[in-house]
Amino acid sequence: MKDKKVVVTRRDFIRGTVGATLGFTLMGPEWLKGTFEERSRSSVVIVRDQKAMDKALNVDKKILEKMLEQVLIHVTGRSSMKEAWLSLVAPEDVIGLVPTPLMNPTHDELIEVVKNSLISAGIPAENIRNAQGRSVDLELITALISLPGLKAHWLTGIGTVIKNYILYSGAPRNYHYQDSTKLGEIWHLPQVKGKTRLILVDALHPVCDKGPQVDPRYRWAYNGLIAGTDPVAVDAVGLKIIQTKREELRGEPWPLSPPPICIEAADKVYKLGNSDLSNIDIQTIGWDQDLLI
Amino acid sequence: MISKKGLILLFFFLFMGLFFPLSQGETRVMQSDKINLPATIDGWKLTKPPKMIDKTNIFDYMNGAGELYLSYHFDHLLVYEYKNKSDNDILVELYYMNDSKDAFGLLSLDWGGEAVELNQPQAEKPSESIVPRKRALYGKGLLRVWSDNLYIRIMAFRDTPGVKEVILQLGKIITADRRNPPPPEMLKAIQPFMDSPWTLKRDRTAYFYSYLVLNSLFYLSHENILYLDHSTEAVIATFEREIKSEKKPPVRLLVIKYPDHEKAVKALNNFFKFYLPDQNKEVKPDLKQENQGFFHIEDGWMGHRLINRGLALVFECPDQESAQEIINQALLNKFQKKGRRIQ
Repeated sequence: MKDKKVVVTRRDFIRGTVGATLGFTLMGPEWLKGTFEERSRSSVVIVRDQKAMDKALNVDKKILEKMLEQVLIHVTGRSSMKEAWLSLVAPEDVIGLVPTPLMNPTHDELIEVVKNSLISAGIPAENIRNAQGRSVDLELITALISLPGLKAHWLTGIGTVIKNYILYSGAPRNYHYQDSTKLGEIWHLPQVKGKTRLILVDALHPVCDKGPQVDPRYRWAYNGLIAGTDPVAVDAVGLKIIQTKREELRGEPWPLSPPPICIEAADKVYKLGNSDLSNIDIQTIGWDQDLLI
Repeated sequence: MISKKGLILLFFFLFMGLFFPLSQGETRVMQSDKINLPATIDGWKLTKPPKMIDKTNIFDYMNGAGELYLSYHFDHLLVYEYKNKSDNDILVELYYMNDSKDAFGLLSLDWGGEAVELNQPQAEKPSESIVPRKRALYGKGLLRVWSDNLYIRIMAFRDTPGVKEVILQLGKIITADRRNPPPPEMLKAIQPFMDSPWTLKRDRTAYFYSYLVLNSLFYLSHENILYLDHSTEAVIATFEREIKSEKKPPVRLLVIKYPDHEKAVKALNNFFKFYLPDQNKEVKPDLKQENQGFFHIEDGWMGHRLINRGLALVFECPDQESAQEIINQALLNKFQKKGRRIQ
């Protein structure tokens, strides 16, 4: 029975049995059992400002700083950016920032604003590092802040939060196609597990079609940041925005293809968080036109 | 015994082999490499010599996107970058593929955008083709071009006034004096009926070889259940119909040409095994008989037809009659004799 090959097909999606099929194939790992907390509800914050980018797509850093402050305050429930950061990280932490390097890369301005605000909160500059890539020594890093760009992906459906650590696996090609269901296991690697303190998605200028390379026709100025501490919930909210935008563009159903099974697997198999939008509280702050939620 | 005509042909091929030792694809690539881009164009300056990407470093350049180009017989890529005084960038990517049909396939993945004329004739008369008559498409700062074995992407990172003109000029320079072969013969395997209530959506037809590409167009399975690879060719087409001015959901027709009947049978049986496990079907190789069937599944009626090394599959039909009508538009008998008709 164990060796029987189970293949996920279109029919599983139509029947709504993907979870069951994936559960059957992937629930095996013994190391997962008892290693997670049950989550009841998750919270995701969306902050938008219509002027975050101008018409030429130049980012206004002052506005971005304000957006970051709002997002941090609402994610943590603290009263200032400093307090918010210090509730997530400590001055002695070695903090790894994990931006998206390719295809809709994270804006440099966002990385800079995050870094500067951490320094202002009392984190020594030398303790803040770029932690994206295969060669990063994760042993030294005690806290990760994931900063992916919001985008669809041609091999995995979506390529935002859960996929952002793919290079930590050392073998990214092993996590494409059907194996994209296993992206969640990277979050359980000993050098990664439990280190992520915040997921902050750069949704200033997302990409809603899979690519594989950026096509400007499928980018739009959403001018937003999406954040939370539950990576699956943040990914699920980003997915909803992308899917809604696709249907708006085509004026007809235009599902992501291949379907983004990594999000459901991250929830159902790897227990990393909530993928079901009905279990996610979404707070929206600022510009509310075309929220797509 | 070799006839006189045979001897003449033998000497001809020996001569060709001695004086033109490269394969056809390699020869074209060498010719195409002679493209000289201007050092400056309307205030935009070429920043440095082109970056050369090949199969060994394509994943470093574009991560998983490399799979797409490898699936279309990628040879190499040259990347140029222009900058202007405002520090805006134009990226010029020249993808050298083995064959014109590979570059065509890349363009066929998305027929959206504004059709622009560079130095190229229209692809084919509309009535004779199942794809739009387009070779170059522009949209929001990105130009995509099929030019013989070259697939071109020229993209401005910021779509500022005047940038489109510069991009089109570059497109004209690159495509000047290049051949413009017709679309792949494989497209002729679908011939829409003129009197059918179903209308072919030409701008949704795509040509490809890989199941990864199929999944990006129409998801079937994360596994390669149809055994698509570089030895196969495939076309997917979309049909729609209107009833009382109301558009009905589209129907997909997938046509695959396998290298031989055995591989086509093996693929169909694997499809039955994983996609239609409830049907318990298996086909035996038989060159003389066609094999056809229709099934009602969760998303409507689907059907298959196997003739020799050609396989057609139709999906999401509202009824069996529609499935039959659509699958009849796949001319699989064109694949019957290797060496003739569609190759």
